[in-house]
Amino acid sequence: MIEHNEKEVAFFGKITAGFTHEIKNILAIIKESSGLLEDILAVTEDEAFPHKDKFKKSLNRILNQIQRGDDITTHLNKFAHSPDHSPTRVDLNEMAEQVIFLAHRLARLKNVDLVASPHDASIMVKTHPVALQMALFLSIEIFLDSITSGGKIILSPRKVRNKHIVRIHHEVAMPDVSHIPPAISSSTRWKSLQEAMAYLGGMVETDGTALEILISLPESIDE
Amino acid sequence: MKEMKVLLVDDEEEFVRALSERMEMRDVKSDIALNGEEALKSMDEDLPDVMVLDLKMPGIDGMEVLRRAKKAYPGVQIIMLTGHGSEKDEKEARRLGVFEYLQKPVNLEKLMRTITKAYKSKFEDTMSAAAFAEAGEFDTAKEILDRDKKK
Repeated sequence: MIEHNEKEVAFFGKITAGFTHEIKNILAIIKESSGLLEDILAVTEDEAFPHKDKFKKSLNRILNQIQRGDDITTHLNKFAHSPDHSPTRVDLNEMAEQVIFLAHRLARLKNVDLVASPHDASIMVKTHPVALQMALFLSIEIFLDSITSGGKIILSPRKVRNKHIVRIHHEVAMPDVSHIPPAISSSTRWKSLQEAMAYLGGMVETDGTALEILISLPESIDE
Repeated sequence: MKEMKVLLVDDEEEFVRALSERMEMRDVKSDIALNGEEALKSMDEDLPDVMVLDLKMPGIDGMEVLRRAKKAYPGVQIIMLTGHGSEKDEKEARRLGVFEYLQKPVNLEKLMRTITKAYKSKFEDTMSAAAFAEAGEFDTAKEILDRDKKK
Protein backbone atom coordinates (compact mmCIF):
# COMPACT_ATOMS: atom_id res chain seq x y z
CA MET A 1 0.00 0.00 0.00
CA ILE A 2 1.34 3.39 -0.92
CA GLU A 3 1.75 5.63 2.08
CA HIS A 4 0.29 9.02 1.34
CA ASN A 5 1.69 11.31 3.94
CA GLU A 6 -0.01 14.49 2.88
CA LYS A 7 1.88 16.72 5.30
CA GLU A 8 5.25 15.46 4.07
CA VAL A 9 4.24 15.91 0.44
CA ALA A 10 2.94 19.42 1.17
CA PHE A 11 6.21 20.30 2.95
CA PHE A 12 8.27 18.93 0.08
CA GLY A 13 6.17 20.92 -2.38
CA LYS A 14 6.40 24.13 -0.39
CA ILE A 15 10.20 24.01 -0.12
CA THR A 16 10.61 23.08 -3.79
CA ALA A 17 8.20 25.81 -4.93
CA GLY A 18 10.13 28.38 -2.85
CA PHE A 19 13.38 27.47 -4.54
CA THR A 20 11.85 27.50 -8.02
CA HIS A 21 10.82 31.11 -7.33
CA GLU A 22 14.41 31.94 -6.37
CA ILE A 23 15.73 30.22 -9.49
CA LYS A 24 13.33 32.35 -11.54
CA ASN A 25 14.82 35.46 -9.96
CA ILE A 26 18.32 34.27 -10.83
CA LEU A 27 17.27 33.53 -14.40
CA ALA A 28 15.73 37.00 -14.62
CA ILE A 29 19.04 38.61 -13.56
CA ILE A 30 21.02 36.54 -16.08
CA LYS A 31 18.42 37.32 -18.77
CA GLU A 32 18.54 41.09 -18.23
CA SER A 33 22.33 41.16 -17.87
CA SER A 34 22.89 39.19 -21.08
CA GLY A 35 20.12 41.22 -22.70
CA LEU A 36 22.06 44.35 -21.84
CA LEU A 37 25.16 42.92 -23.56
CA GLU A 38 22.97 42.13 -26.57
CA ASP A 39 21.67 45.73 -26.60
CA ILE A 40 25.22 47.11 -26.46
CA LEU A 41 26.21 44.80 -29.28
CA ALA A 42 23.26 46.01 -31.36
CA VAL A 43 24.18 49.70 -31.03
CA THR A 44 27.81 48.96 -31.90
CA GLU A 45 26.91 46.64 -34.78
CA ASP A 46 29.26 48.42 -37.22
CA GLU A 47 32.24 48.33 -34.90
CA ALA A 48 34.42 45.27 -35.22
CA PHE A 49 36.28 43.79 -32.30
CA PRO A 50 38.29 40.57 -31.93
CA HIS A 51 36.21 37.38 -31.61
CA LYS A 52 32.94 39.27 -32.16
CA ASP A 53 31.27 36.22 -33.75
CA LYS A 54 32.24 33.99 -30.85
CA PHE A 55 30.91 36.62 -28.47
CA LYS A 56 27.55 36.71 -30.29
CA LYS A 57 27.28 32.91 -30.47
CA SER A 58 28.05 32.60 -26.79
CA LEU A 59 25.45 35.23 -25.95
CA ASN A 60 22.83 33.39 -28.01
CA ARG A 61 23.70 30.17 -26.22
CA ILE A 62 23.16 31.88 -22.87
CA LEU A 63 19.77 33.28 -23.95
CA ASN A 64 18.63 29.88 -25.26
CA GLN A 65 19.62 28.19 -22.03
CA ILE A 66 17.77 30.83 -20.01
CA GLN A 67 14.63 29.95 -21.97
CA ARG A 68 15.24 26.25 -21.34
CA GLY A 69 15.83 26.89 -17.64
CA ASP A 70 12.68 28.98 -17.46
CA ASP A 71 10.54 26.26 -19.08
CA ILE A 72 11.88 23.62 -16.70
CA THR A 73 11.44 25.87 -13.67
CA THR A 74 7.87 26.76 -14.67
CA HIS A 75 6.88 23.08 -14.88
CA LEU A 76 8.74 22.21 -11.68
CA ASN A 77 6.98 25.09 -9.94
CA LYS A 78 3.61 23.85 -11.16
CA PHE A 79 4.45 20.35 -9.95
CA ALA A 80 5.63 21.66 -6.57
CA HIS A 81 2.35 23.54 -6.14
CA SER A 82 0.34 20.36 -6.90
CA PRO A 83 -0.17 19.39 -3.25
CA ASP A 84 -1.31 22.93 -2.28
CA HIS A 85 -4.95 21.96 -2.75
CA SER A 86 -5.74 18.27 -2.72
CA PRO A 87 -8.15 17.01 -3.82
CA THR A 88 -8.86 19.68 -6.40
CA ARG A 89 -10.36 20.00 -9.87
CA VAL A 90 -7.86 19.41 -12.66
CA ASP A 91 -8.05 19.21 -16.42
CA LEU A 92 -6.83 15.84 -17.72
CA ASN A 93 -5.54 17.51 -20.91
CA GLU A 94 -3.30 19.79 -18.82
CA MET A 95 -2.20 16.92 -16.58
CA ALA A 96 -1.11 14.90 -19.61
CA GLU A 97 0.93 17.85 -20.95
CA GLN A 98 2.49 18.41 -17.54
CA VAL A 99 3.53 14.75 -17.08
CA ILE A 100 4.93 14.61 -20.60
CA PHE A 101 7.19 17.51 -19.68
CA LEU A 102 8.21 15.85 -16.41
CA ALA A 103 9.03 12.54 -18.15
CA HIS A 104 10.66 14.16 -21.17
CA ARG A 105 14.24 13.64 -19.96
CA LEU A 106 13.70 9.93 -19.23
CA ALA A 107 12.13 9.36 -22.64
CA ARG A 108 14.90 11.24 -24.42
CA LEU A 109 17.47 8.81 -22.98
CA LYS A 110 15.72 6.05 -24.95
CA ASN A 111 15.00 8.18 -28.04
CA VAL A 112 11.29 7.87 -27.36
CA ASP A 113 8.90 10.68 -28.30
CA LEU A 114 6.27 11.59 -25.74
CA VAL A 115 3.17 13.06 -27.31
CA ALA A 116 -0.11 14.41 -25.96
CA SER A 117 -3.27 13.88 -27.94
CA PRO A 118 -5.63 16.20 -26.04
CA HIS A 119 -9.39 15.83 -26.05
CA ASP A 120 -11.17 18.59 -27.97
CA ALA A 121 -12.55 20.01 -24.71
CA SER A 122 -11.34 20.20 -21.12
CA ILE A 123 -11.95 17.06 -19.05
CA MET A 124 -12.34 18.21 -15.47
CA VAL A 125 -12.09 15.78 -12.58
CA LYS A 126 -11.77 16.32 -8.86
CA THR A 127 -8.79 14.27 -7.74
CA HIS A 128 -5.41 14.23 -6.00
CA PRO A 129 -3.07 15.93 -8.52
CA VAL A 130 0.19 14.47 -7.13
CA ALA A 131 -1.09 10.88 -7.19
CA LEU A 132 -2.56 11.34 -10.67
CA GLN A 133 0.73 12.67 -12.02
CA MET A 134 2.49 9.74 -10.36
CA ALA A 135 0.11 7.26 -12.01
CA LEU A 136 0.65 8.80 -15.46
CA PHE A 137 4.40 8.94 -14.89
CA LEU A 138 4.44 5.25 -13.81
CA SER A 139 2.54 4.31 -16.97
CA ILE A 140 5.20 6.01 -19.10
CA GLU A 141 7.96 4.33 -17.07
CA ILE A 142 6.38 0.90 -17.61
CA PHE A 143 6.66 1.38 -21.36
CA LEU A 144 10.14 2.87 -21.17
CA ASP A 145 11.34 -0.13 -19.13
CA SER A 146 10.39 -2.46 -21.98
CA ILE A 147 11.61 -0.32 -24.87
CA THR A 148 15.13 -0.76 -26.19
CA SER A 149 15.09 2.44 -28.19
CA GLY A 150 12.79 4.60 -30.31
CA GLY A 151 9.05 4.72 -30.87
CA LYS A 152 6.36 6.96 -29.50
CA ILE A 153 4.25 7.04 -26.32
CA ILE A 154 0.96 8.87 -26.70
CA LEU A 155 -1.19 10.13 -23.83
CA SER A 156 -4.80 10.61 -24.88
CA PRO A 157 -7.28 11.95 -22.32
CA ARG A 158 -10.86 11.21 -23.34
CA LYS A 159 -14.36 11.46 -22.00
CA VAL A 160 -16.46 8.53 -23.17
CA ARG A 161 -20.01 8.15 -21.90
CA ASN A 162 -19.28 9.88 -18.56
CA LYS A 163 -16.06 7.92 -18.15
CA HIS A 164 -12.91 9.96 -17.62
CA ILE A 165 -10.07 8.11 -19.26
CA VAL A 166 -6.42 8.54 -20.12
CA ARG A 167 -5.17 6.08 -22.72
CA ILE A 168 -1.42 5.60 -22.68
CA HIS A 169 -0.40 3.97 -25.89
CA HIS A 170 2.96 2.77 -27.14
CA GLU A 171 3.26 3.19 -30.89
CA VAL A 172 6.04 1.26 -32.56
CA ALA A 173 6.84 2.06 -36.17
CA MET A 174 8.39 -1.32 -37.02
CA PRO A 175 7.57 -4.02 -34.46
CA ASP A 176 10.59 -6.25 -33.97
CA VAL A 177 9.32 -9.77 -33.26
CA SER A 178 12.67 -10.82 -31.87
CA HIS A 179 12.31 -8.23 -29.13
CA ILE A 180 8.69 -8.55 -28.06
CA PRO A 181 8.48 -6.79 -24.69
CA PRO A 182 6.86 -8.61 -21.76
CA ALA A 183 3.20 -7.95 -21.00
CA ILE A 184 2.63 -4.73 -19.06
CA SER A 185 1.07 -6.50 -16.09
CA SER A 186 4.34 -8.35 -15.40
CA SER A 187 6.14 -5.06 -14.86
CA THR A 188 7.42 -4.37 -11.34
CA ARG A 189 5.79 -0.94 -11.51
CA TRP A 190 2.36 -2.34 -12.35
CA LYS A 191 1.54 -2.97 -8.67
CA SER A 192 2.47 0.62 -7.76
CA LEU A 193 0.27 1.88 -10.58
CA GLN A 194 -2.65 -0.25 -9.37
CA GLU A 195 -2.18 1.10 -5.82
CA ALA A 196 -2.07 4.70 -7.04
CA MET A 197 -5.26 4.19 -9.04
CA ALA A 198 -7.00 2.55 -6.07
CA TYR A 199 -6.07 5.60 -3.98
CA LEU A 200 -7.61 7.80 -6.68
CA GLY A 201 -10.78 5.73 -6.68
CA GLY A 202 -10.15 4.71 -10.27
CA MET A 203 -9.01 1.73 -12.29
CA VAL A 204 -6.16 0.68 -14.51
CA GLU A 205 -6.48 -1.85 -17.28
CA THR A 206 -4.35 -3.30 -20.03
CA ASP A 207 -5.48 -5.17 -23.09
CA GLY A 208 -2.93 -7.90 -22.44
CA THR A 209 -0.44 -6.64 -25.01
CA ALA A 210 2.56 -4.47 -24.26
CA LEU A 211 1.04 -1.55 -26.10
CA GLU A 212 -1.77 0.00 -24.08
CA ILE A 213 -2.66 1.13 -20.58
CA LEU A 214 -6.10 2.52 -19.83
CA ILE A 215 -6.60 4.65 -16.74
CA SER A 216 -10.10 5.64 -15.69
CA LEU A 217 -11.02 8.12 -12.99
CA PRO A 218 -14.23 9.07 -11.23
CA GLU A 219 -15.50 12.58 -11.97
CA SER A 220 -14.97 13.33 -8.29
CA ILE A 221 -12.87 11.43 -5.77
CA ASP A 222 -15.61 12.22 -3.23
CA GLU A 223 -18.07 10.01 -5.11
CA MET B 1 2.59 63.25 -24.79
CA LYS B 2 4.99 64.20 -22.00
CA GLU B 3 7.97 62.02 -21.19
CA MET B 4 6.78 59.15 -19.00
CA LYS B 5 8.11 58.53 -15.53
CA VAL B 6 8.67 54.90 -14.60
CA LEU B 7 9.46 53.56 -11.15
CA LEU B 8 11.03 50.09 -10.91
CA VAL B 9 10.59 48.39 -7.55
CA ASP B 10 12.47 45.18 -6.76
CA ASP B 11 14.71 43.97 -3.95
CA GLU B 12 16.89 42.11 -6.48
CA GLU B 13 19.23 45.05 -7.08
CA GLU B 14 21.21 43.48 -9.93
CA PHE B 15 17.99 42.67 -11.77
CA VAL B 16 16.47 46.10 -11.40
CA ARG B 17 19.68 47.93 -12.36
CA ALA B 18 20.16 45.81 -15.50
CA LEU B 19 16.49 46.35 -16.40
CA SER B 20 16.79 50.10 -15.87
CA GLU B 21 19.89 50.28 -18.10
CA ARG B 22 18.16 48.32 -20.85
CA MET B 23 15.15 50.62 -20.68
CA GLU B 24 17.43 53.65 -20.85
CA MET B 25 18.92 52.24 -24.07
CA ARG B 26 15.36 52.42 -25.39
CA ASP B 27 15.05 56.04 -24.27
CA VAL B 28 12.87 55.28 -21.27
CA LYS B 29 14.29 56.64 -18.05
CA SER B 30 13.39 55.04 -14.77
CA ASP B 31 13.86 55.49 -11.04
CA ILE B 32 14.65 52.56 -8.80
CA ALA B 33 13.35 51.55 -5.37
CA LEU B 34 14.76 48.48 -3.63
CA ASN B 35 11.90 47.82 -1.23
CA GLY B 36 8.30 48.76 -0.47
CA GLU B 37 9.17 51.60 1.90
CA GLU B 38 11.46 53.20 -0.69
CA ALA B 39 8.75 52.82 -3.34
CA LEU B 40 6.09 54.61 -1.26
CA LYS B 41 8.55 57.37 -0.31
CA SER B 42 9.59 57.79 -3.93
CA MET B 43 5.91 58.11 -4.96
CA ASP B 44 5.31 60.81 -2.37
CA GLU B 45 8.29 62.79 -3.66
CA ASP B 46 7.97 62.32 -7.41
CA LEU B 47 4.84 60.55 -8.63
CA PRO B 48 5.52 58.12 -11.49
CA ASP B 49 3.14 57.43 -14.36
CA VAL B 50 3.87 53.71 -14.34
CA MET B 51 5.29 51.52 -11.60
CA VAL B 52 6.78 48.05 -12.25
CA LEU B 53 6.47 46.26 -8.95
CA ASP B 54 7.89 43.03 -7.53
CA LEU B 55 5.59 41.00 -5.30
CA LYS B 56 7.74 39.40 -2.61
CA MET B 57 9.99 41.89 -0.86
CA PRO B 58 11.20 42.15 2.72
CA GLY B 59 9.20 44.65 4.81
CA ILE B 60 6.22 46.09 2.97
CA ASP B 61 5.58 43.60 0.17
CA GLY B 62 4.39 44.33 -3.36
CA MET B 63 0.73 43.58 -2.64
CA GLU B 64 0.68 46.10 0.20
CA VAL B 65 2.48 48.70 -1.94
CA LEU B 66 -0.16 48.12 -4.64
CA ARG B 67 -2.97 48.51 -2.11
CA ARG B 68 -1.57 51.74 -0.63
CA ALA B 69 -0.53 53.22 -3.98
CA LYS B 70 -3.94 52.63 -5.55
CA LYS B 71 -5.61 54.24 -2.55
CA ALA B 72 -3.37 57.32 -2.47
CA TYR B 73 -2.67 57.68 -6.20
CA PRO B 74 -5.34 55.83 -8.21
CA GLY B 75 -4.06 57.26 -11.49
CA VAL B 76 -0.70 55.52 -11.29
CA GLN B 77 -0.62 52.43 -13.47
CA ILE B 78 1.00 49.47 -11.77
CA ILE B 79 2.47 46.42 -13.46
CA MET B 80 3.27 43.48 -11.22
CA LEU B 81 6.39 41.59 -12.28
CA THR B 82 7.11 38.58 -10.14
CA GLY B 83 8.90 35.27 -9.95
CA HIS B 84 6.75 34.26 -6.98
CA GLY B 85 3.24 34.62 -8.24
CA SER B 86 0.44 32.18 -7.58
CA GLU B 87 -3.02 32.28 -9.15
CA LYS B 88 -4.33 33.57 -5.83
CA ASP B 89 -1.84 36.45 -5.86
CA GLU B 90 -2.76 37.33 -9.42
CA LYS B 91 -6.47 37.36 -8.57
CA GLU B 92 -5.86 39.62 -5.58
CA ALA B 93 -3.61 41.97 -7.57
CA ARG B 94 -6.26 42.29 -10.29
CA ARG B 95 -8.90 42.97 -7.66
CA LEU B 96 -6.74 45.78 -6.34
CA GLY B 97 -6.47 47.32 -9.80
CA VAL B 98 -3.12 46.16 -11.18
CA PHE B 99 -2.74 47.06 -14.87
CA GLU B 100 -0.99 43.82 -15.79
CA TYR B 101 0.47 40.84 -14.00
CA LEU B 102 3.66 39.41 -15.54
CA GLN B 103 5.97 36.54 -14.63
CA LYS B 104 9.76 36.72 -14.39
CA PRO B 105 11.84 36.30 -16.44
CA VAL B 106 9.92 38.51 -18.84
CA ASN B 107 10.71 39.34 -22.44
CA LEU B 108 11.86 42.97 -22.39
CA GLU B 109 9.95 43.93 -25.52
CA LYS B 110 6.77 42.57 -23.91
CA LEU B 111 7.46 44.57 -20.76
CA MET B 112 8.14 47.73 -22.79
CA ARG B 113 4.89 47.25 -24.74
CA THR B 114 2.99 46.79 -21.47
CA ILE B 115 4.58 49.90 -19.92
CA THR B 116 3.71 51.97 -23.01
CA LYS B 117 0.15 50.62 -23.01
CA ALA B 118 -0.21 51.43 -19.31
CA TYR B 119 1.10 54.95 -19.85
CA LYS B 120 -1.19 55.58 -22.82
CA SER B 121 -4.13 54.34 -20.81
CA LYS B 122 -3.26 56.70 -17.97
CA PHE B 123 -2.65 59.59 -20.36
CA GLU B 124 -5.95 59.05 -22.15
CA ASP B 125 -7.80 58.86 -18.84
CA THR B 126 -6.17 62.08 -17.67
CA MET B 127 -7.02 63.86 -20.93
CA SER B 128 -10.65 62.80 -20.88
CA ALA B 129 -10.96 63.66 -17.17
CA ALA B 130 -9.53 67.10 -17.92
CA ALA B 131 -12.05 67.56 -20.75
CA PHE B 132 -14.96 66.66 -18.46
CA ALA B 133 -13.62 68.92 -15.69
CA GLU B 134 -13.31 71.79 -18.15
CA ALA B 135 -16.95 71.23 -19.14
CA GLY B 136 -17.92 71.41 -15.48
CA GLU B 137 -18.67 67.67 -15.16
CA PHE B 138 -16.50 67.16 -12.10
CA ASP B 139 -18.19 63.93 -10.96
CA THR B 140 -17.48 62.25 -14.29
CA ALA B 141 -13.90 63.52 -14.21
CA LYS B 142 -13.43 62.10 -10.73
CA GLU B 143 -15.03 58.82 -11.77
CA ILE B 144 -12.55 58.43 -14.64
CA LEU B 145 -9.59 59.14 -12.37
CA ASP B 146 -10.86 56.64 -9.81
CA ARG B 147 -11.61 54.00 -12.42
CA ASP B 148 -8.24 52.21 -12.24
CA LYS B 149 -8.70 51.74 -8.56
CA LYS B 150 -11.98 49.96 -9.11
CA LYS B 151 -10.77 47.75 -12.00
